[in-house]
Amino acid sequence: MPSLTHGLSRIRYELAGPENGPAYVLINGLTQYVEIWHPYRDALVSRGFRVAIFDLLGQGVSEKPSLFINQDDQVQVVSDLVAEIGGGPIFISGISFGGVIALRYAIAHGDTIAGLVPISAFAEVSPQLYLLGKAMMTGLVLGGTNYLMDLLFPMNLSNAWIGPHMKALDAAKRRGWLLNDVYALQNLMESFFDFEPLTPQLPSIRVPTMILNGEFDFLTPRPLQETMRVNIPDSALVIVPNAYHAFTLEKPALTADLLARFAQDVMAGRWHGKQSIWVAPEQPGGDIVPFPAGFDHMRAIPIHLPPAAAEHRETPLP
Amino acid sequence: MNVSAMQAFLGPLDDNGRFPAHQQTRVAAFLASAHGAQARRLAATLAGAVHDGWQVEMHVQFCREMEILSLLARATSWTLDPQLPFLMWQWESAWLPRPAEGIADRRQALLIDMAAFGHALHGGMRPAALLPEDAHDMDPFTLALRRIEFEGARLMQGQMIFLKGAQFHAVRAEVNAAVERRHAQLRELWDAMLRGIDVDNNSRHLAETAFQVALRTNALYQASLQGGAGTTEQDDKVKRAKEL
Repeated sequence: MPSLTHGLSRIRYELAGPENGPAYVLINGLTQYVEIWHPYRDALVSRGFRVAIFDLLGQGVSEKPSLFINQDDQVQVVSDLVAEIGGGPIFISGISFGGVIALRYAIAHGDTIAGLVPISAFAEVSPQLYLLGKAMMTGLVLGGTNYLMDLLFPMNLSNAWIGPHMKALDAAKRRGWLLNDVYALQNLMESFFDFEPLTPQLPSIRVPTMILNGEFDFLTPRPLQETMRVNIPDSALVIVPNAYHAFTLEKPALTADLLARFAQDVMAGRWHGKQSIWVAPEQPGGDIVPFPAGFDHMRAIPIHLPPAAAEHRETPLP
Repeated sequence: MNVSAMQAFLGPLDDNGRFPAHQQTRVAAFLASAHGAQARRLAATLAGAVHDGWQVEMHVQFCREMEILSLLARATSWTLDPQLPFLMWQWESAWLPRPAEGIADRRQALLIDMAAFGHALHGGMRPAALLPEDAHDMDPFTLALRRIEFEGARLMQGQMIFLKGAQFHAVRAEVNAAVERRHAQLRELWDAMLRGIDVDNNSRHLAETAFQVALRTNALYQASLQGGAGTTEQDDKVKRAKEL
């Protein structure tokens, strides 16, 4: 398996797909590792994409700095990886923590990419997210990586996924536990405790941006996605039905299909974000439909928007 | 060194579900040497009564190190290992205090080194990650390794708070270098010790777990149901995957 060198640190990565094809760089969330993206690699490569996946600094088999991990270093790693890919247009996507790194990359190096897909991401740390992060870190410290994953599973996955896997959850956690060290995860989590909001910099992201948000995301709920939608000019918010925070694990075929369709729309000049709001299909290949006009997408119950807000929100038809 | 003979985890298990005694001996000796060194250094800083708050944490750390040593001594199936005298000399030499470079105050430089060593020992060494998926849950050596790793993550908090503290902001690079040096040193000796018992734990990410097998295994299931050829290890994983 190839590796990049960032400073003195070694980064594990995988590249697959045609050398000059359009490329996706996929960035992991907390406790994740390269192999999590293999269903995406296979799906996207079969549709002609080149795919780059890697272990973040501090995770998986990449180097784990012992005391401090700077998010700017993660962005630099992505930059090194993008330079490694070359060739066709490059799209960046990341889930949760990885979504934040993707946002940071787009702010710093937007001219090197053709599109951006933040998934279950956030540009600022709300009080709820801050306290959840603190509680999760305490859980990590007192109970180890397995306990952290015990917290994350029910928060981030649906009953529809957990139910059939209930007896296998310990086995499901094993690789995440094997590959991740407590001190390194702690360093990654601590990098958020003095997090400066990215919101003021979001308007500088000029590339087409598809914001993916699980309908029932508890960890990074709709208000955090809304911050990105209203501040990134060429964005669209796509709500994934019956999905929780970690729907990339639960619905890989659907999510990979959404990624591929977004990139194809951008490359064909069909993408018009216009800060619009959409609802993704339940199954790959299904229709992406506009969020019903006149209703408030921030609410879980169907509340009519005030007339002025309804007029302001543009929902272009495909 | 025959690389192909290396395995990612301890084993194979014997009929009673225990790891080979020579593996237990080598791993336990390494851990006892390193934790013993840390216990000695902690004891030296605790001579006399506890006067300051930070000494309470030192006392906790000392007691936990003693617990780890006692556990290793009792839970390990020890056997004669002719290489141990040389290895012990090598390990004990490595654990000797080395004041952190670039720190003018020698006492502080020694404290940083002690914390750096503790961070590397408790955070970088993953004894439970040596256990294969089918390790017996009630095997004493298995439980001891899990316990040491679990306690290590808690003990490391003391070192992290100390090493990341505001008092070291001005010498952050020196502190960081001291910690990285201890991590590299312990990792090198740990890896060498494991290679001596035919284990390459750094390849553990390549070992597919039963769950991963279960997720991708329609093809594997079909092959096994049809009597397709596979390795014994693969067959075992398919069996476990079916159980899941």
